[in-house]
Amino acid sequence: MGKFQELILDIGDLWGQYGALYLRGIRSTLVLALVATAIGCVIGFASGVLNTIPYTKNDSLLKRFVLKTIRIVIRIYVELFRGTPMLLQAVFIFYGLPYVTNNMYRFNSIWLASILIVSINTGAYMAESVRGGILSIDPGQTEGAKAIGMNHVQTMTSVILPQALRNIMPQIGNNFIINVKDTSVMFIIGFPDFFAAHRSAVGATYLYFPSATVEMAGYLTLTLLASFILRSIEKKMDGDRHFELAAADQLVMAAGTYRHRGEKEASYED
Amino acid sequence: MRIKPSVTDAPILSIRHLAKTFGKNKVLNDIDFDVEAGEVISVIGSSGSGKSTLLRCINLLEIPTGGEILFRGRNILDRGVNIPEYRSHVGMVFQSFNLFHNMTVLDNCVVGQMKVRQRSRAEAEEKARYYLDKVGLLAYVDARPRQISGGQKQRVAIARALAMDPEVLLFDEPTSALDPETVGEVLEVMRDLAGEQITMLVVTHEMAFARDVSQRVFFMHDGVIHEEGSPESIFERPEKQETQEFLSRFLAR
Repeated sequence: MGKFQELILDIGDLWGQYGALYLRGIRSTLVLALVATAIGCVIGFASGVLNTIPYTKNDSLLKRFVLKTIRIVIRIYVELFRGTPMLLQAVFIFYGLPYVTNNMYRFNSIWLASILIVSINTGAYMAESVRGGILSIDPGQTEGAKAIGMNHVQTMTSVILPQALRNIMPQIGNNFIINVKDTSVMFIIGFPDFFAAHRSAVGATYLYFPSATVEMAGYLTLTLLASFILRSIEKKMDGDRHFELAAADQLVMAAGTYRHRGEKEASYED
Repeated sequence: MRIKPSVTDAPILSIRHLAKTFGKNKVLNDIDFDVEAGEVISVIGSSGSGKSTLLRCINLLEIPTGGEILFRGRNILDRGVNIPEYRSHVGMVFQSFNLFHNMTVLDNCVVGQMKVRQRSRAEAEEKARYYLDKVGLLAYVDARPRQISGGQKQRVAIARALAMDPEVLLFDEPTSALDPETVGEVLEVMRDLAGEQITMLVVTHEMAFARDVSQRVFFMHDGVIHEEGSPESIFERPEKQETQEFLSRFLAR
């Protein structure tokens, strides 16, 4: 019991001195994870769509060549960023840019660099998820869209992707939660996130365990909250189980004076 | 290159020596026929005879391996033909409905008109409601496909195809996936359409429909149109042995 009280007191001390730092860290972590997951999704959806453009033997050589090249480039991108640690990618890109451009270009903003790195990383994972999500949709949906004259992009944006999005929501949530935690490796290029707050705090106070306890509780709260919010978004996407018969319309129609909804509302004002 | 419909007196569709092979398997062989405006053609035959492949080739869901498909006199297998544009003039109703699960009944009938025909939302909704009324589902505009029965889904699919103002409607066994109970309501809608001179090419196992509604009946066997003629000649006086056998098997059931 004595140890526990000591821990509470230490945490109290830490929070008194570094509370604002921790909170700023939490904010940075959340913003980075949110922005990078969003951009990662965009990258993932773009690669998913490009990856699934169909081609047949009847298509021109150029079209087939371009599509094949796109698929190879995406494949390399996915394998490269999925197959190396993000910690290393951060160092590689952050120090690589000034190195190969002879200091012509460098990352002036740690934020920009961090968002870029985490987004690219998330995109690599999402590309595969989106591809899987698209493949999981019944081919009949594509045929239905094609049969009314939709092209590939229209079919994707109106019919396939909304359904694929629902199917991969759990993976998007997963990626977001992973990002909340894994953005902590961006301390390597000096990103001031929640974990960086821990490093600053213990550097001065040597209260490693109490600070780690704060971090554990903080990260767990964030991820649990994220799961909860994601679940409710999924539920919302599924929509109502029931629907209303547009009974009023039918009655009006049976009387032989069918009107559109808009007109009916207007008639109430008379 | 855009396809301009209705500018010639050519038949809506002229199929010339159409062939399709899957690997070494010849599914369609030297298919030849015209579809004139206002005509209802039924295609019958046992499964595996190539009926569905024929329909799927006509709107290019399968790419034919030989022959020509002339739409209003223009070969749509030529390079540079805008295939989505062509498909928008040829409605298709599938055995498995293929309604868009992520949309309401109304939006299923609206989305193609807006995206492909560039109609305004108001115009598209008016047309969608008109055709949903025609198939008796105006009350269901807000329902989602998973909330309605198979027969209702198929009627929405018909309304969706009609809302595009197609020149010809292709039906790929529209009642084969339905409960016996709901087959009637779909056939009734199709009979109404036939009565309104809507051009239809119907692959079906509903012999009564083929006999009563169509002007011409094709019997397909082994990837060719084995026998064709008026419903009377095919059903009352079939000449080929395979046709007789097929029909007797059907009538025996």
